[in-house]
Amino acid sequence: MPNFLETTIDKFIFKVVDDRFYTPAGLWALAEGNRIRIGLSDFQQQRSGDVAFAEIKPVGTQLAYDDEVAVIETIKVNISLGSPVTGSVVEINSAMTDAPEVINQDPYGIGWMAVIEAADWEADRPCLMDPQTYFTHMKSLAQEELNKG
Amino acid sequence: MSDTHLPRKVAIVPCSGIGKTYGSVSREAAYDVTEDLRPEKTQLVSLAMLVLGDETACAALAGAPAVTIDGCKLACATKMVQESGGTVTKDYAVLEVYRRYKQFKPQGIAELNEGGQQLARALAEEIVAVVDSTLAGSGGEKNG
Repeated sequence: MPNFLETTIDKFIFKVVDDRFYTPAGLWALAEGNRIRIGLSDFQQQRSGDVAFAEIKPVGTQLAYDDEVAVIETIKVNISLGSPVTGSVVEINSAMTDAPEVINQDPYGIGWMAVIEAADWEADRPCLMDPQTYFTHMKSLAQEELNKG
Repeated sequence: MSDTHLPRKVAIVPCSGIGKTYGSVSREAAYDVTEDLRPEKTQLVSLAMLVLGDETACAALAGAPAVTIDGCKLACATKMVQESGGTVTKDYAVLEVYRRYKQFKPQGIAELNEGGQQLARALAEEIVAVVDSTLAGSGGEKNG
């Protein structure tokens, strides 16, 4: 059962689940054998706002590390998300088409975005942040946002 | 001739969020309906006045159907109409409307871009259909 690192900044509560790795841009990567499930962190989904559309690269797409794997359009911004792993897209969450708001509702659960068959997970993993490192990084970003007013 | 037998005007209550694109879309759609498309069947009710408990605004809801247009998931317009004793015939969320009209991407705040104006017009036309069916006695949809 994963645990959460949690912080409150201003009126917002941000959670980082401790069983996966993260990119600095706020994508999480959860290894299930050689398959890597990916999604958006709680901080990134709150920061970005309500998701209007989520376009994920189709099944079969070959990706190098940091190649664009998804584009999210929210009420505030359009964001391009780089893949946390080199490999091939093997599954897309059908909710991304029908109900992308699940990203906001449950970013670490049913709001997952895609599964990538890793070419070499052990090689990519050191490029990612462990939960504690991402937690610190995320708090820094949140504080910056707060200071902007 | 008395008009007391005529149905009440449908109250149109948009988001009052200032500085938000979707709030602007909600208000633009409300103006389209109440000033242009169905001025004789609808009346604009200010959410801010409902929050203040303004008697005239609250009276506009009494016994009249209401269509709410929310700019975000806080759904202030819908909640405030309900708390003011009004009856929400149809509640719209601009994000949901945008998902149906992806080609109309809204941008801008004080002044909406063309996409925002087109989205507002599309929403206004949906509201008009609800207004017409409500006053014809067949309203009652939710969650738009």
